[in-house]
Amino acid sequence: MLRVIKEITLEVFQAILPLTIGVIAINFLFIRMPAPVLIQFIFGAVMVIGGMILFLLGVRLGILPMGEAVGSELPKRRFVPYILAVAFLMGFSVTVAEPDVMVLSDQVNTVSGGSISNTLLVGVIAVGVGFFVAAAILRIILGFPITYMLAGGYIAIIILSFFAPPEFVPVAFDAGGVTTGPVTVPVILALGIGFSSVLAGRSTLSDGFGLIGLASIGPVIGVMLMGVILY
Amino acid sequence: MTGLNLFQGFGDTILTVLKSVVPIVAFFVIFQLIYLRLPWRYLARIFFGVGLALAGVALFLQGVKAGFYPAGSEIGTFLGAIQAKWLLIPFGVAMGFLATFGEPAVRVLGYQVEKASGGSIRSSLILYGISVGVALFVGLGMARIVWGIPLNYIIVPGYILAVLLMFVSDKTAVAIAFDSGGVATGPMAVTFLLAVAVGITSSIEGRDPVADGFGLISLIALAPILFIMLTGLYLKIRLKRRGEQNGNG
Repeated sequence: MLRVIKEITLEVFQAILPLTIGVIAINFLFIRMPAPVLIQFIFGAVMVIGGMILFLLGVRLGILPMGEAVGSELPKRRFVPYILAVAFLMGFSVTVAEPDVMVLSDQVNTVSGGSISNTLLVGVIAVGVGFFVAAAILRIILGFPITYMLAGGYIAIIILSFFAPPEFVPVAFDAGGVTTGPVTVPVILALGIGFSSVLAGRSTLSDGFGLIGLASIGPVIGVMLMGVILY
Repeated sequence: MTGLNLFQGFGDTILTVLKSVVPIVAFFVIFQLIYLRLPWRYLARIFFGVGLALAGVALFLQGVKAGFYPAGSEIGTFLGAIQAKWLLIPFGVAMGFLATFGEPAVRVLGYQVEKASGGSIRSSLILYGISVGVALFVGLGMARIVWGIPLNYIIVPGYILAVLLMFVSDKTAVAIAFDSGGVATGPMAVTFLLAVAVGITSSIEGRDPVADGFGLISLIALAPILFIMLTGLYLKIRLKRRGEQNGNG
């Protein structure tokens, strides 16, 4: 336990400190931010570091075991629609809990002056992830090559990007990037690896991997479709 | 802004965070009641963990809102107002490098690749390669904002390249590459760089913060995908060439 805390603390400092120091350096070299902004930035960085440490610890202790418990239960059932439904719900619910997704949707909501609502965006992103996690599980069951699925997803995104309203395209692409965060990645990986290890004749390595890549296609398609439908 | 207001709107933050875990907890509780029936001690540990995670996210989001957004938009507004707009590009390159080089997930990926390639690809190569790749892409993202280039013009060729590379790369390289898309989109990239980008677009005339301010994260996610597949391809070609030499000699 102590070792885990040490590990996480080191990780968080490594991730946050370089840019924080960079910003403080920029402040003194080029841009003089108003003092309250700079002080709030430094306090904010401390809060972010503390928050990340608590959060990652909580993920290890609570959220990851929840995901693993459900993931290991899943392949024991032989009823495919049930498995797919659970995979969908898992993808959906981990994405809703992802902090990066909250940050993005919050920013989009603020910048768009409330015209793209927080809840709707999070919902669409989560449905996209859920759908593609279920599709990825179906792929493992059917033994369909992952390359085709990734290529199909990417081609669909490319085509859709020409039809989606231009203000939705960047948000849609960004939505694909934020889903691969600290909650989603371990839970979904555990699901995929657990699942393909139960199915005989499937290589854990090449079947378990690729899930995250597939999961990040869903939100891009979802948000673009939302743009096409709404506007 | 006078004085510090670190905890302004903290109630809203807490509410958002609480709502965010409702689905996963509800889902788990239903599973627990129907199938899992895990022992109480284990459950207590899990819920303690969930509580920690909630407190952590609330603190994280509040820090981002109170500290990173204002500073990010301050820097963005300043950068958007300078005359020599090209300066944004080296700035973006530096920020992209700093945000990625520290990212623990990138290091982890480096070790994974080193292991998967039997040591022929060093983890330091992955770390520097991805950091430089992201740096260039953030620079490109800044150029896009400066000249108002639609994101499509950059990301669609990138995606096409990714699809093409997919068909000439090994299956394992493809799987690792696409999973690695998220390694560089860590908390700093998503929160701080996004705020800077939005700040810049709001101070350059004729830029729409929604259409031009977003998109940076997607470029940051694309860089590692392309880099890993290119590295895999290079390794494949080198191995093949070595194999041919051995065959001839």
